[in-house]
Amino acid sequence: MKLFSKYNRILILISFVGLLVIGLLFYQMLIFYLNRQLDHDMVEEVMEVKEYSVKGKFYTPHEFEDLVVQYKPIQKVRSYSQYGDTLFYNSLKHQNEHARFLRTEMMLDGEAYQIIVIASKMERQEQIKNICLIILLPVCILLIVVLLVNRMLLKKIWDPFSQMLKNINDFNINHEKPYRSVDMPVEEFKQLNQVLIDLSGKVKKDYEEIKLFTENASHEMMTPLAVINSRLDNMLQSSNLDTKEGEMLSELYQATSRLTRLNQSLLLLVKIDHNLLQEHEDIDLCQLIQEKTHYFHELLQERSIQLKTTLLPSRIIANRQLIEILINNLFSNVIRHNYEKGSIEIYLDSNQIIFANTAHHGALDAEKIFDRFYKGIASEGTGLGLAILKQICIRQHYLLNYTYQHNLHTFTITFNNE
Amino acid sequence: MKILIIEDEPGLQRSISEYLSGMGNVCSVASSYMQALEKLELYHYDCLLLDLGLGDGEGLQLLSFLKRTDRAEGVIIISARNSLDDKLTGLSLGADDYLTKPFHLSELNARILAVMRRKSAMGERHISFKEIRIDLDAKEVTVNNKGVYLTKKEFDLLLYFISNKGKVISKSAAVEHIWGDDADMADSFDFIYTHIRNIRKKLLDAGSGDYFQSVYGVGYKFTSE
Repeated sequence: MKLFSKYNRILILISFVGLLVIGLLFYQMLIFYLNRQLDHDMVEEVMEVKEYSVKGKFYTPHEFEDLVVQYKPIQKVRSYSQYGDTLFYNSLKHQNEHARFLRTEMMLDGEAYQIIVIASKMERQEQIKNICLIILLPVCILLIVVLLVNRMLLKKIWDPFSQMLKNINDFNINHEKPYRSVDMPVEEFKQLNQVLIDLSGKVKKDYEEIKLFTENASHEMMTPLAVINSRLDNMLQSSNLDTKEGEMLSELYQATSRLTRLNQSLLLLVKIDHNLLQEHEDIDLCQLIQEKTHYFHELLQERSIQLKTTLLPSRIIANRQLIEILINNLFSNVIRHNYEKGSIEIYLDSNQIIFANTAHHGALDAEKIFDRFYKGIASEGTGLGLAILKQICIRQHYLLNYTYQHNLHTFTITFNNE
Repeated sequence: MKILIIEDEPGLQRSISEYLSGMGNVCSVASSYMQALEKLELYHYDCLLLDLGLGDGEGLQLLSFLKRTDRAEGVIIISARNSLDDKLTGLSLGADDYLTKPFHLSELNARILAVMRRKSAMGERHISFKEIRIDLDAKEVTVNNKGVYLTKKEFDLLLYFISNKGKVISKSAAVEHIWGDDADMADSFDFIYTHIRNIRKKLLDAGSGDYFQSVYGVGYKFTSE
């Protein structure tokens, strides 16, 4: 739940309950005062009855007063007066009305009477309703206004925060996009913003340093590798090699070659990271794949791998070097992890390129295969081929996807990633 | 050929010099640009091998010096940095070729020969080895004037072996020569055997001698011995 809605929900709940309780109390209070006043009036009526009785008359109230006085002769006068609520029939209005009554007994003109005074609450109740409305309506309006203002204010206060979140999301260490600072009106946010600026700066700096380190380390390794390589070439020329030494040399060559390629791959990754390959041109993918098919022909032949291609016309604007590496890596990957007499399917259309291959093993972990140095058990590669693939796709904003279907490992690259 | 090797790594210096001397060249070495300049003022060379990685930008200065003084030497840059910009800068300053470390000596030798062929211009546009003749312009191979059809990769490989005739070329060097840096497949050495077998068969069919020798499974040698 959003902070905003959580806050609002609590606020609305409390306001509603509060308003209900206060309204109820207020209403009860009014009713209490009303009853008291009616009782008071009725006592006055009784006094009036007494006064009239001195003149030997029975007092009857004016009709408009909503007041009825009933006399009932009784045997003996007990001294009490009883107040209470009742219903009475208003003969004028022909309806039952809520009322208060006062029952008492007294001697009138020497005879004992029970006197019941009934006062209608109708009129007063209307008043109370109006009073309640007059008070409640503005309170409700006030509440709505407060909620609205709150909403606007919160939105305004949290707006920079949302912007900050967006900026954090946009911040990408790979894309030379720095964290864009947000102008914060609130002190706490200001601090958060500052922390983020410092943090992103430090992360960026560390990342640059790691890249620089990788680059330098890889470069520095090239010269010793060159010495090893050339020394091996020298040794190879010796006329007194035997088979065992030949094998040893062969292994040394393999290891050196692997180390070299590892280094080159690391450098390539750094290069793609640095976005050093900028020039874009129009590339005919169909033609490129045909060229590469030719290029990899012997490798396919060597292992009797069947190649099925479906190439529809497709052109993209991109960096040629990157795209060539991309296609090379895709090809290398589907050949390397294939088996003798296996098959490779390549599909190309204007929006996507698909490379699928058979392999001994089942589905791979789609989450991990693009990680650096993630390698299958049988893989003899550098473990960087697919990482480079992914890096290129990120750089070119392509969508790279791996699936395993119909016993085929399928790599799909979608160009228009919208 | 007279070759000046400008390289500060003694191991590399020696191995290059050993290999190239073995191909019948005269090599001298310079470990710094000062030494190189001194030698360049006194002698003329056919080819310079220049490590760009020495000192701060002095390699490029040396290139400018060569260009300014209109020297005829062919220049091959050897660098640990494999960046297109470095290559373009080097080439625009008059270098003839660019080789990235690490490299195979057979590759270096093939590059030197290619540069020298380009330098000596018009004349020698073909190479002969016994009855085999390679026309570099038409990219054609003939044995006793009979055409042999080779694929592009086979042609490159044959040229590579003939350029390094008498030397053992490791499978690794042969693979890298055809595949370059890009391919992540450069560790699949064995398929080079298929290539060699094909070339050999085609040449034999055309009536050439059998000059490919396998060397302990490490590599091959192209020799008439």
